[in-house]
Amino acid sequence: MVKCTINGQTVEVKEGTTVIEAMHQEGMKIAHYCWHPGLSVAGVCRLCMVEIQGNPRLQVGCNTVVTEGMNINNTSDKVKEAVQWGLDFHLINHPLDCPVCDQAGECGLQDQYMEFGQYDSIMAEPKQKKHKVVDLGPTVVLDSERCILCSRCVRFTTEVSKTNELGIFNRGDHSEVGTHEGTSLDNNYSLNTVDICPVGALTSKDFRFKQRVWYLKEQKTICNGCSTGCNIKVYFNTEGFFRVKPVYNEQVNGYWMCDQGRDIYKFANKQARYQGGKRYNQGQWVTDEAPGHVAMQASKVIAQNKNKTALILTGQYTVEEYEIAIQSFLASVGNSIGIKNIYHWNSHISEINNFDGTLLRGDRNPNTKGLIKVFEKYNIQTQVEDLEKAIEAGQIDTAIVAGPEDLTYYKQSNQKMVSLISALKNIVWLQSTINPELEEKVKSNLFIIPMKSYLEKSGTFINFNGIEQSFRAVTTVMSQALTLGQAIGLMMGDQKAVLPAAETAADHAVKPFVQESRPASQVMAEERKKNEFIYKRGATNER
Amino acid sequence: MSDKIKDKSLGMWYLSGILGGVKITFAHLIKNLFSPSERVTLNYPEEQHTYSPRFKGNHILTVKNDGSLRCTACMLCATNCPADCISIVASEHADPHVEKFPVKYEIDILRCVYCGFCEEACPVDAIRMGPEWQIPDLADGNFIYDIQHLAYRPQLKGGIISVVDEQERHQAGI
Repeated sequence: MVKCTINGQTVEVKEGTTVIEAMHQEGMKIAHYCWHPGLSVAGVCRLCMVEIQGNPRLQVGCNTVVTEGMNINNTSDKVKEAVQWGLDFHLINHPLDCPVCDQAGECGLQDQYMEFGQYDSIMAEPKQKKHKVVDLGPTVVLDSERCILCSRCVRFTTEVSKTNELGIFNRGDHSEVGTHEGTSLDNNYSLNTVDICPVGALTSKDFRFKQRVWYLKEQKTICNGCSTGCNIKVYFNTEGFFRVKPVYNEQVNGYWMCDQGRDIYKFANKQARYQGGKRYNQGQWVTDEAPGHVAMQASKVIAQNKNKTALILTGQYTVEEYEIAIQSFLASVGNSIGIKNIYHWNSHISEINNFDGTLLRGDRNPNTKGLIKVFEKYNIQTQVEDLEKAIEAGQIDTAIVAGPEDLTYYKQSNQKMVSLISALKNIVWLQSTINPELEEKVKSNLFIIPMKSYLEKSGTFINFNGIEQSFRAVTTVMSQALTLGQAIGLMMGDQKAVLPAAETAADHAVKPFVQESRPASQVMAEERKKNEFIYKRGATNER
Repeated sequence: MSDKIKDKSLGMWYLSGILGGVKITFAHLIKNLFSPSERVTLNYPEEQHTYSPRFKGNHILTVKNDGSLRCTACMLCATNCPADCISIVASEHADPHVEKFPVKYEIDILRCVYCGFCEEACPVDAIRMGPEWQIPDLADGNFIYDIQHLAYRPQLKGGIISVVDEQERHQAGI
């Protein structure tokens, strides 16, 4: 350990720590564009200047290693002046088109400009014209004029994705980020370059111009795209979800996430979802029913076929939901014919151990491990083939299927499952996203119950490595939709399933509305002294 | 009570006041009949008052020299709007020199409080508040003004040209 003093505060850090890392550990503020904790040190932006006692010149914090007894300062006037001029050099060719720039509101340059900017530039020369709206690849658009050449994106493609697509071309004022002839920024991690771009030079095609960032709220959750379980932030407002960004977690995903995971907000949006429960009965569709009502209807059918009901689960729900669902299923239907009629439906069994070397795994279910764990707890030992055998043998005539949320990776598997069970007498299908395959093929008694998506419920996912990650509900999109536990509970005849025990007492208590949040100076109408004025005709007015 | 007034000779004290009033009324009547230029009132709706160009009335979206919308869909007006009455949907533009433009720009005029903050927030003189002040209409939906109304309504005679010129901006290196 090395002891040093930063801004008058004694700090102890590991040997080999740079000044900027030490300041980040202590939560101190230091300007930086080119330095990123997940990338190598470039030292090109010259904004992280610090004054070190005994050293006549300012040093860059990102490339200076802390030594014993070092006295570092980044709040002195000398440092402030250096940062101010460094910023002015960055702005020589920057168009300052913040109003039309997608990064405005979360831009490092904008923040620095508000703090240190010399609002009237003293440059007499006109700004350099560079390429605008450059199509770098299928996901990213480049605006060279906004680029401050921090080289973060270039270092990302060499160090993290190892695809080496980007480079800085030309010299001096004419330098531009770009791709070589014949190549494009086309890899599964390309959108991370947009995240790390400190200005609005790289923008995501998917998010471009959809929303201004100050209209969006963010909430941390876990990606449900694959079994890695990357930590993410979801950006949303009343119009829906708009984008996903990674959150740092050393044990799981580091600073990054894959491009396929960026799409996981799409199927949680209203347009992709079942808006109400649906039933298909004797050639007739009954639509727009409350999900709870459909579940109650299904419970009548299940009650008649108790011994022949099977529960089929995908690895896309939370551990807590599996617990409640399996518990109430076993309590009501029981283990009728020796084996427990609960089956695990996994779409990509052959690809389950695939790994692209960085983050993305072949198992596209976030919680396969969690489902297996709950199966072990209740001693359920059914294999995938058992379901086919049981159906062939006629042991099942009612199936409750907890379908996948994201149908993109379940396309073929979904077709297979639908054709497998379409011959059954009753089918109860639980899913959040619209499943046209199911509605087309199934001609028997069908109940479709809308589920909450993973962004609307709290719970736990267990990733491929056995790491349990709990997350909280982001927001509510479909207020009527049920969780798996509630739906199965309702179908098994437990009508209280829709009211979680923890919520009932607190939520239904009558809360005083104004009294608590009332400021001391506020006077209520009934408390104030009232004046009186009664007019009497002809009487002398006495005051 | 009325027993305060007992002298009958004082019973007609109000007549002089009334006759004075009648005199003023008739003087105005005669003045208005024979010298219409000095009238204070207007024959609305045949005659209508026009306010100065600085009056903060109904919104106008300005246009560029080529007649397309000046608005860059930066949404600063919508952000600044205290009544939350502006809704904009931005889109990519076919021309690479134009970053973005609004495909939908709607003002819910019944919600608008005519504060002029949108005008102040606009960085490119794309929205102004003009001298028009009447908004009569029959259906609810007609009070939500779209691009067609805001920029190209007949009263604007083909659109008001913005003072911010694209060519000049490019030459200045902005």
